[in-house]
Amino acid sequence: MLAFVARRLSQAVPLLLAVAGLTFLLIELAPGDPIVALAGEDGDAAYVAMMRERFGLDRPLGERFVVYMGRVLRGDLGFSYRLQQSAVTAVLGRLPATLLLIGPALLLSTAFGLVLGVLAARRPHSLTDTAVSTVSLLGHAVPVFWLAQLLLLVFAYRLEAFPVQGMRNVRLDAQGLAGALDVARHMVLPVTALTVQFLAPIARVARASLIDVLGQDYVRTAVAKGLQRRAVIGKHALRNALLPVVTVIGAQVGFMFSGAVLTETVFAWPGLGRLLLSAMLARDLAIVSSMFLLLTVAVVVSTLLVDLLYAALDPRIRYG
Amino acid sequence: MNHAPASRPRGLRRALLPLLAVALLGAPALANETPQRGGTLVIGIGQNPGHLNPAISTGSEVHAVADSLFSGLIRLDDQANPYPELARSWEVSADARTYTFHLRPGVRWHDGEPFTSADVAFTFEQVLLRYHARTRTGLEGRLERIDTPDELTVAFTFREPYAPFLQQLNVTEAPILPRHVYATVPDVQTAPENLTPVGTGPYRFVAYVVDDRVVLARNDDYFKPDLPYLDRLIFRVIPDANTRLLALERGEVDFIGGLPAGELARIDALPEVTLYTPNSGSGGGFCVMTMSFNLERERLADHRVRQAFAHAIDRQQVLEQVLFGHGRVATGPIHSQLAFAYSDDVRAYPHDPALAEALLDAAGLPRGADGTRFSTTFLHFPAFAKYGEVLRQNLARVGVRLELVALDRAAFITRVFEQRDFDTNVISYCNNADPAIGVARVYVSTNIGNIPFSNAAAYVNPEVDRLFAEAASQADVEARGRLYAEVQRLLVDELPYLWLVETQFSAAGRAEVRGLSPWSGSPAEAAWIAR
Repeated sequence: MLAFVARRLSQAVPLLLAVAGLTFLLIELAPGDPIVALAGEDGDAAYVAMMRERFGLDRPLGERFVVYMGRVLRGDLGFSYRLQQSAVTAVLGRLPATLLLIGPALLLSTAFGLVLGVLAARRPHSLTDTAVSTVSLLGHAVPVFWLAQLLLLVFAYRLEAFPVQGMRNVRLDAQGLAGALDVARHMVLPVTALTVQFLAPIARVARASLIDVLGQDYVRTAVAKGLQRRAVIGKHALRNALLPVVTVIGAQVGFMFSGAVLTETVFAWPGLGRLLLSAMLARDLAIVSSMFLLLTVAVVVSTLLVDLLYAALDPRIRYG
Repeated sequence: MNHAPASRPRGLRRALLPLLAVALLGAPALANETPQRGGTLVIGIGQNPGHLNPAISTGSEVHAVADSLFSGLIRLDDQANPYPELARSWEVSADARTYTFHLRPGVRWHDGEPFTSADVAFTFEQVLLRYHARTRTGLEGRLERIDTPDELTVAFTFREPYAPFLQQLNVTEAPILPRHVYATVPDVQTAPENLTPVGTGPYRFVAYVVDDRVVLARNDDYFKPDLPYLDRLIFRVIPDANTRLLALERGEVDFIGGLPAGELARIDALPEVTLYTPNSGSGGGFCVMTMSFNLERERLADHRVRQAFAHAIDRQQVLEQVLFGHGRVATGPIHSQLAFAYSDDVRAYPHDPALAEALLDAAGLPRGADGTRFSTTFLHFPAFAKYGEVLRQNLARVGVRLELVALDRAAFITRVFEQRDFDTNVISYCNNADPAIGVARVYVSTNIGNIPFSNAAAYVNPEVDRLFAEAASQADVEARGRLYAEVQRLLVDELPYLWLVETQFSAAGRAEVRGLSPWSGSPAEAAWIAR
């Protein structure tokens, strides 16, 4: 098992380098100049030339690519002149805020997705099944920024049940338990937006997978033995039906980050999504490439975890 | 409807000007109220400021926050008239080449060190003239030397008279940095001190959480007596304009800028909110939405084609449908509120589609089988999409197909100013406090090329160059006015650009917040909260 994990992780190294290189080229070849974000927009030609030279942007693309990759190989992901911070500090500083949204959203969408999937699969094509399918499809089809705005208007603006924006009330700046409760209140709407968005694919796959398993001979045997339907589903069918569901959940991690960009923007949540968006608009290579590397690591790790979970869920699967 | 003095109905504005000067010096919005001390004001801002050194960037996101921490030699009112700040008085030599400033005595930096003329000279020589793009562009080559005969006197000598200098000395254009902090740093642009600023402004730095908030506290040692009234000033980063507005309405923030135009009427009707519509705001002042014609493209180099565009486009419709009436149809490159320089003695281009069609026919651009004469690209920021929609509708009536291309700011700058890959575009060109600062750059032939927001049309006219140069070096205001009137007449005749509408900035504050100056870099200097 350990050898498998080590091998998988070592395979990630060339992938990370490729992502770093691709990010560099994407940012460099896209129209837009980082100097504008660094120095404002009113300089004359001499000023722009001076700034380009200062930040090494006057060097040929190939030379800059080599320098950049050399730095990445040494573990140096660069300095954001815009934020006056090292890119790693900036990214890691924002990670906890995003995990506060993504973590609960992943757990909640998995839990609700499974429950809805089971409810729908118990009686395929029944009223419950149709309702679950419709609602989950609708939740998935609605753009997350629109859903976020809707939640804001209804629950924060009309009903005044939750705050409109931010991670904490800046006037109070509460600490300790009061601070934690304040953050929790601010989390409700953005976590709900993300949960609704990601619940649908989990519910859909859980339903399809469970219907498939429920049609297999060993389930029929269990029913024939006189087992309760709840026990058949809970003890026998669900575990086997979970394999595709786990795959979907693993695949969601990357999408969660993209959902976080929009959700964090609408709710003014100071997380990685906001950092990525502002860095892209400013052509801030150090931040963008660090973010993409972090996302790659997240996807690699989540896929690895999915593979390991496979082995735990299905004893026939062995890695060595 | 609540309105602060700076946003009175326009007819009243001139009558109120003398009163405004009093209000600016620290009096509250309503003269019979006594300012109350204490409290926290939360300002919602759209962008994270990055660093907090306003002398090394012209970025509005930096200045929106940092200008409350620093001071300039002078301050500007909402009509761009100068009045004292770090300089308590000044005089201009008879030949208009030397400006001598007498600094306020007893001013201290936030860390307790005394402020002197050495700080001013250091800031200009070592920082502003190197890294502040506008100040560098405006003064480099013109400024001969800076003298500091004593600790409280600083004199700027120019090679030739330079009229707009006073308008370039406020905290946004020329914030003064502490020499004792920056003299020893190896690189001002990357100094950690840029994140822990020490200024002379009304508020001092407390904390900065990137992408979240900047917390400032009252500067108890501020050089203006009694100011500021607030204990704390917090800038909260809220990127989405709708969320910012909801936060204001719910009272989570007290003041925001950049309101969606379609919401202005609704906001104006809210009793708990005061609407401000000043001419200036964070990022510029006296702005004119301007359509550029790429004169390097053969078709648009034809004067008749540009005239046809001017007659085809219904600028009144643009004002009503895009700005919901908040602004004014533009007559030319200079904003009508820059009174000394503005002239309406220019050629008018009334909305006349039939005349536009005749001009296009005369230019050899007949309608094709599908009714279209030609297609032309129109580049714009996503935020200006509605301009494109109205223009496309207008131009379609005369057989011109406008292809809208939405680009983010960085890509727009590359495509227009570096690659010059466009036919037409729309840019909000801001005049700022003087045409020599914000207008000349758009029309003079020396400012064509890979320079953001320069002469996008690539317009070349030696007479226009001469008039702008002469106006900048004239000390006499009336003479300058005459030169600018002439330049406006020339430009509107030749139409290298089409000036659509003059825009207003929009800002809104909670009604209980008084004394805000939303046109300035530090809107909360004299703000207070009525309880």
